[in-house]
Amino acid sequence: MLAGLAAGCSSSVAFQAPTIPTPLVEKIPMSVGLRMPGNFEHFIHQELVFGREEWSIDLGRSNAALFEQLFSHMFAGVKVLSENDDPNLLPLDALIETSIDAFEFSTPDQSNTEAFAVWIRYRLKVYDREGKLFSEWPVSAYGKSQTTTMGKSQALQRAAVLAMRDAAALMVMKLDEETQISTLINKPATQPAPVSNENDVQTTALEGPTDDSS
Amino acid sequence: MIQANRLVKTLMVVVATASSTACVTSTVQDARQGLTGINEGESVVIMAKSYHLGNETEAKYITCIEDNLARGSKGLRVIPHAEFVDSLFPWFEPRTAPAETKNLAKLMERPGVAEKIAQQGIRYIIWLDGDTEKVAGGGSLSCAAGPGGGGCFGFAWWQKDADYDASVWDLEGLESAGTVSADVSGTSFMPALVIPLPFIARTQAKACKSLANQLHAFIVQEESA
Repeated sequence: MLAGLAAGCSSSVAFQAPTIPTPLVEKIPMSVGLRMPGNFEHFIHQELVFGREEWSIDLGRSNAALFEQLFSHMFAGVKVLSENDDPNLLPLDALIETSIDAFEFSTPDQSNTEAFAVWIRYRLKVYDREGKLFSEWPVSAYGKSQTTTMGKSQALQRAAVLAMRDAAALMVMKLDEETQISTLINKPATQPAPVSNENDVQTTALEGPTDDSS
Repeated sequence: MIQANRLVKTLMVVVATASSTACVTSTVQDARQGLTGINEGESVVIMAKSYHLGNETEAKYITCIEDNLARGSKGLRVIPHAEFVDSLFPWFEPRTAPAETKNLAKLMERPGVAEKIAQQGIRYIIWLDGDTEKVAGGGSLSCAAGPGGGGCFGFAWWQKDADYDASVWDLEGLESAGTVSADVSGTSFMPALVIPLPFIARTQAKACKSLANQLHAFIVQEESA
């Protein structure tokens, strides 16, 4: 019995990819490449909640599905690049590289509420046609869902989906303002914008390139 | 065997009867800011205030209000909140939803927003704020089982408060029509002498029904019951 108590409990949650609705915004008239890290196809977050239980959260390809859907709604053209694709050989205005800086969650026991909460921080790097880093944006998102009679796994899943929708909403509203990606339409960048390295800033405003010719 | 079955059935009836008799007190109020009314083909949508603002209204409570408002021959036409939020993505997400009526005019100017709202015939958005929580409890109840059988002994009680506010926004005039609130308190208790007998106060269900009835009356401008 003591051994059982010492071993603690473990919980495993597997996700279906979220569906991102078509946003009520006009598409940015440019063609972008989307490059995602390998773990976006099968992202697993494992965490030992101290003194309680071990969690294994299998997001599957939720992250990949999020960005594929979202960018197809936001840009006139999106090409999802595989490892073998050379963006320099493709007719792209810009390349967007995505990654996850952090995935965190809290359980009802930890927050002393009846809700699960999920925080995800993505990072978007925008490259111009020449392959130079043009701008960078950390996107922090938050989702929260009450536990239900359907179980804690479903509440955690719902919180993660809400966090992804939160990220999507933020990108729909602020992507161009924060990264100034639309200034790359049909022209190569000659002077990259400063790159933000502030990991803990939710929406870091970047100064865009000054282009007097436009 | 037959006697045992009868005993179980009798106990189930006692438990079912007892479960509906716990004490619940409720207060429902409204504060009107403007004339209301709803025409044929017009609809309402029930939303929870954003969790980004600290609100914790339960999803099942929203569904309960939706069901109660739509129920019956005089039921209102209710657009499911998930369908509404998806159709207007990303403008009614927890991060982006308007917090005050003064933001509505700007929102309606965004591409496609007024058209989507008109397509669904939405006249009122009702924003729910509040939750149900356990505020007190006590007693002691323990259960044990052995080779000869099992049973429970003791007494436990707990009190839950359900406090909800509903802000009604009229999309015709882009202004607040007023607020309706329901404060419900219920105490449940469970004595156990071999078999526990739960006297459950259905606090949240009462808060749902009371608020929905008052909202219906508020919107169609009936005299409240």
